Formats: sequence, structure tokens, C-alpha cells
Amino acid sequence: MTLTAQDWLGKIKALPLKKRVRIMNVCGGHERSITMAGIRSALPKTVELIAGPGCPVCICPEEDVYQAIQLALHANVILVAFGDMLRVPVNTPKREIRSLEQAKANGADIRPIASPKEAVQIAIENPNQSVVFFAAGFETTTAPVAAMLLEGVPDNLFVLLSGRRTWPAVAMLLDSDTPSFEGLIAPGHVSTVMGPEEWLFVVKKHNIPAAVSGFMPVSLLAAMYSVLRQILEGDPFLDNCYPELVRPGGNPSAKAQMAQVLHDTDANWRGIGVIPASGFELNLRFASHDARTQFPDFDLVGRKRAGQMPAGCECASVVLGKINPNQCKIYGLACTPKSPVGPCMVSDEGACRIWWAGGVRKNAASSVTDFHASVD
Amino acid sequence: MQIVKIEGFNAHCVAKGIEREVSLFMLQDESLEIGNFVMVHVGYAIQKMSAMEARSAWEVYDEMLALEAKGA
Repeated sequence: MTLTAQDWLGKIKALPLKKRVRIMNVCGGHERSITMAGIRSALPKTVELIAGPGCPVCICPEEDVYQAIQLALHANVILVAFGDMLRVPVNTPKREIRSLEQAKANGADIRPIASPKEAVQIAIENPNQSVVFFAAGFETTTAPVAAMLLEGVPDNLFVLLSGRRTWPAVAMLLDSDTPSFEGLIAPGHVSTVMGPEEWLFVVKKHNIPAAVSGFMPVSLLAAMYSVLRQILEGDPFLDNCYPELVRPGGNPSAKAQMAQVLHDTDANWRGIGVIPASGFELNLRFASHDARTQFPDFDLVGRKRAGQMPAGCECASVVLGKINPNQCKIYGLACTPKSPVGPCMVSDEGACRIWWAGGVRKNAASSVTDFHASVD
Repeated sequence: MQIVKIEGFNAHCVAKGIEREVSLFMLQDESLEIGNFVMVHVGYAIQKMSAMEARSAWEVYDEMLALEAKGA
């Protein structure tokens, strides 16, 4: 018999949970489903769901966004990027151009795309111009960028790669003195590509239960049940609650292609700092398509607040799951989707944007966290 | 999305009335046929959907315990 979301919720409610349990997810898609389906308020009050590092746009280095803006403005290129990146602000004085959207309004040729294929097509259609693809994303997005390059691209297409790996950020959180969660919902599509084994360290090294989940409430609730029951039984393992897509070893073609095109590197996360082996760099074989080597670096030495989150914005703490979105001092006040200050309010995968879309309007910066009380 | 046409590494796919050209480049280890379902991310099929046997290891575990209890 196939269990429904309601069945899994019933099973969760039947668990003899006594202590508070915090479960972290690390995927914007998970956070969106949890928020939109009202899963937080449906769960027992002892279960707290924390949105962790699941938004690649939010942690994309400020310097890379700045570089993309400057390339678009000064290098006579067509700059293409996933739509979410266009409104991400950089730290420049207000009189200067602060986002790709503003650069576009000022005449730069910037085009939002939904697929790497579109970048190739734009390069083919504009053979006399350089096209720079500003590619920010986690593994699920970086793998198609690698596939695009391996399949072959026109000479005039260059990639400004800001790809990041998810597990090193979780490893960093777990290696800290005070991990902020007792269970992990591992990302479904990252695991689909890279294999669920990437998350075994959570169980084996840290003795913390983990379950890979898909994006429907039925899969998320099954994963939550699995994690909670693992905690109760005291015998953590890595469960796979997204078996229709996630297989042992992941997607072998995609991983082989990534290995041919990319290698791991220590990488900066906006407002957080450098996390070892958390980024991707193009292999030497693809240097002729690497925007970092083919174009000048426009960043200014000593530029104020370079690399940081915007002033007053607590996106870094939100991304790391240290505070809930509405505990940021400017959530819903100075920072709203209409006038976003931080990247977490810009991106569809940002926890602040998702919570706002889910109806959380009250700023809870000065009160105790309680999602049940914060939804109007 | 469901594959309705394959040409080399490209497929024409549909889902809920939406039609898309999808790259199959990342699924070279899979045998894909018209009618198969694939998960698509930024225009690329990242995995072929397969039949699900259990949603969680706990389902299998509980089923085994129940069978053992019946046998006892």
C-alpha cells in the first residue's frame, strides 16, 4: 500500500517525541514546498524545521556579481544569467549601478535565460560578439553547465562560473561547536546527480540521522518521519525517500562529464567566507571558455564591503539556519520582495522570499522563534 | 516530463500540456525510449524516473517485522 502525505503526518504525530528536535533542509525547493504546503504548522510543536544553505543565488560571491555587472557595462559583451541573479544587489554606493537589472536599464546587453542551451543559442546568433554566461548554482545546475561545455560551444561563449557544492556547507555547520540541528533532510536533485552517498558523512561522522527527500509533501513528510524515528531508535542511517529518482551513485554520465570539465576548489560564500572544496573551477582544457581568464578582473582593491552581505542584512545567518528569516532585523520592514535588500529576499530559492510568499509578514527579530505564532 | 520524440541527444517532452526541448546529454548511460519519464532541470534531463517500491527504509523494515510476527 502506498502511503499518502496524510498517512506520513499521522505516523509522525504518533511518534513519542518528548524533546524538541530541529531538522534542517538544505534546498530552496524543499523550503518552498514545506512553506507552501503549511508543513511547519501541521507538525507537532516539538519539531522545528530549519531552512539551511539551500539557495545558490543567496551565497553567490558579491565579487562575482560585481564582476558580471562590470563585464556587462564595460567589456562590450552580451551577458546572460539565470533570471534570479538579475536583482541581486552588490555593495556599491547608491548612486552607482548595484545590480544586473540596473545595468540592463542603463544600456548593458543583459539577457535572462532559463537553460544553458539558451546561452549557446545566443552565442550562435551573435557570432561577432562575446557572450558571457554568468553561471551560479549548486551541483544540479553546474552539471548541465559542464554538459553544455563538453557537448561543444561556439568560440565566442565564455562561462563566469560560480558553482557551489552543498555538502561542504553542511560539513562546516556540523564541524562547528554548536550544530543547530539534530536531523537532516538531504537535497533530492543534488543527490539525484551526485548520489546520496555524499550525505553519508552526516550519519557516519556526526551520528546525525539523514534522509534524502523529493519535493512533494509526501516525500518530505516521509523523510521527516524517517529522521524522527531514527532519532528515537538511536540508530542513524541514510534513508532515501526519493527512490523514484535517487539511485546509488547518482547519475554516472553527469558525474563523469563534470569530472572532465570541472574540479573542486576552495570557494567563497557571500557573507560566510571560504569553505574548503565547496566550489567548482573549469579545467585547463576549457580555459578558452573561462571568463575568469579571458576577461580582465574589474574588481577594485579595497572596495568597501566587497564580498559581504548588504549593510543591515542578516542573510548570512539565515542561510546558515542560525536565525529564521523573520528574525532578521529588516525582514518585512526595509527588506521586502518589492524592495529587497538581501539576496535571500531576491531569489525564489531564498528563505526570506519563500517565507514572505508563504504569508509570514511579522518581523520577529525581538521575539522568541515560533513559526506557529508568526503566520498571520 | 514525458518523452514524445528523440533526435540524437535532444528530446521533445511534455508535461501537463507544456512542451519543451530537453537535452538528454546527461543521460548517456540510460536507455531511453519514447514514453519514458525524465526529471528536467534547466533544460537538461538529470534522471530517468523509475518505479518506486518503498518511500522509506522504515516501510520495508516494518513490513519485515510484521511478516516475522505473522510467522511466529
